[in-house]
Amino acid sequence: MLFAHGFGCDQNMWRLVWPHFSDRYRIVLFDHVGFGQSDAGAYDGRHYSSLKGYADDVLAICRELDLRDVVFVGHSVSAMIGILAAAEEPDRFAQLVLVGPSPRYIDDDGYTGGFSESDIAELLESLESNYLGWSSAMAPVIMGNPDRPELAEELTNSFCRADPRIARQFARVTFLSDNRDDLTRVQTPSLVLQCSNDVIAPRAVGEYVHAHLAHSRFEILNATGHCPNLSAPEETVAAIRSFLEP
Amino acid sequence: MSIDTQLLEDTATELFEDAPCGYLTTGLDGTIVKVNRTFERWTGLGRDELVNRTRLQDLFTTGGKIYYETHYAPLLQMQGSVKEIALELVRADGSRLPALINSVLHRDEIGRPRAVRTTVFDATDRRRYEQELLRGRDREKNVALSLQRSLLDGALPSSSSFKIDVFYAPAGRELEVGGDWYDAFWLRDGKTIGLVVGDVVGRGLTAAMTMGHLRSAVRAFAAVELGPADVLEALDVYSRRYGVGDMTTVAYGELNAEHGSFRVACAGHPPPLIHTPGAAPRFVWDGRSPPINVYTQPHPRPDTEVTLDPGTTVLLYSDGVVEHRRRPADQGMEQLLHLVADREEQPLGVLVESISDALFDPDAGDDRCLLGVRVASEDD
Repeated sequence: MLFAHGFGCDQNMWRLVWPHFSDRYRIVLFDHVGFGQSDAGAYDGRHYSSLKGYADDVLAICRELDLRDVVFVGHSVSAMIGILAAAEEPDRFAQLVLVGPSPRYIDDDGYTGGFSESDIAELLESLESNYLGWSSAMAPVIMGNPDRPELAEELTNSFCRADPRIARQFARVTFLSDNRDDLTRVQTPSLVLQCSNDVIAPRAVGEYVHAHLAHSRFEILNATGHCPNLSAPEETVAAIRSFLEP
Repeated sequence: MSIDTQLLEDTATELFEDAPCGYLTTGLDGTIVKVNRTFERWTGLGRDELVNRTRLQDLFTTGGKIYYETHYAPLLQMQGSVKEIALELVRADGSRLPALINSVLHRDEIGRPRAVRTTVFDATDRRRYEQELLRGRDREKNVALSLQRSLLDGALPSSSSFKIDVFYAPAGRELEVGGDWYDAFWLRDGKTIGLVVGDVVGRGLTAAMTMGHLRSAVRAFAAVELGPADVLEALDVYSRRYGVGDMTTVAYGELNAEHGSFRVACAGHPPPLIHTPGAAPRFVWDGRSPPINVYTQPHPRPDTEVTLDPGTTVLLYSDGVVEHRRRPADQGMEQLLHLVADREEQPLGVLVESISDALFDPDAGDDRCLLGVRVASEDD
């Protein structure tokens, strides 16, 4: 099972989920470049100028570790990254678990993504100002304790910390993406996990994904919000398990 | 109950209700279950509208809602607390309250998350100040950019005996200007051109100003025909006397296309590249000395002379062209040799641009400057 985290945090997003599968599956966790413990120096603005670059990374991991029959579990934008990877190399993937997927965040004619263009522009702006708050919250703590390097370590490596430049670019690539046409390219059996009351991936979007995938199952969780993997790990694990081991 | 205790109880309630910050208790999904008067006052929303009817995240801007779902909520669940997140609350009247928000996950006896306690601080002034700082930074950057641009403006010398082309790109949009400059001008004999590519230390306005100083100084020293080695030596003196341009790297050469001669001196700068048609491109490793004002005493600098056959291309460039975080300079220079070799047929303008493009890394935060001169070939 290959777990991919979404926009915002790192592979810790899966820490309440993956241990439930480690008895039967080989577990592979990774951080997207620029997040978590990844080497931010490997970031290449051109490679990551679309979600395809991230999908290429997923395939590179599969090749490097010689993974086959992969159960790909992707949260949020990584659900679509998994779709792109599976469309590219279908033979690699046995099943896809898509947690809160959205093929397009911005509304379009006859399509409800949940956001307007100005909403996304506002998000990008708000990320900018959040970074200010973020950095000034962290910096004094890190710099005020030079004798405790582990503190800096923990803070700089904290789960949702990312190079702001990379985070901004990832946000742009994520929220301005349109991968609706890629859904129909995928034949891999998929599970669409839909949260109740998810502002980022509303139910209509999950239904759209379900309707456009050739082989998918649609499951609505009682969990609210966008991160059932953290807020309702038991329910999430149970849903994935019943999909994988019917 | 003693009077003192009564006072204490009053104080506790008052402290909660009228604290200088908003207090909230919410369920795990953000639903507000308890709220203080300060929060009601700040948002213009009464507890009848808030309690059990509104989630904290409902009060954020759309951008804030996404931030909440992708950062705030996961962090709270993973760390048990979140600190000083800058978000804006939308008040009842639609106006916005810039706020700093902290939350702690409250757990029951056996450690299960039960509720979230949140404080909200008014960050209006702080946000205003941040915006001023940002505006100030942008202003300075724009001044530096326009200064840099104005210094690099102006026509390049032209003649039938050579072609000259330049690629120049200031550092990425989000970074300050670097301090690369180029220059090309006629010398007194009307047959020789002076060619300069330099790189001053530092960024921003100061770098742009230093670059302006040195550019004029090189022109002045070149005009009295000191020759490349002595121009750089004079630049040492100038730098020391006026306290500008310490550690600048610069390549200065004088090219006479009719005689096919090129005399060049390099102060700590990447070596010029020479490409004679039909031969492998090569670097000029002679005529080198350390960057400007490194010597503590006046120190003679060397230069070297290269013969240029017809059709030969000379490239001067800054380190930003060949070097960045992920590519050491030697690798970039190796690549440069290959790129030039593969592009023998390209017109100079195309060559200069395509090389810069091929070597470009969008994440490298340095200016990139490439000045090319091609001596006319016999068929020109």
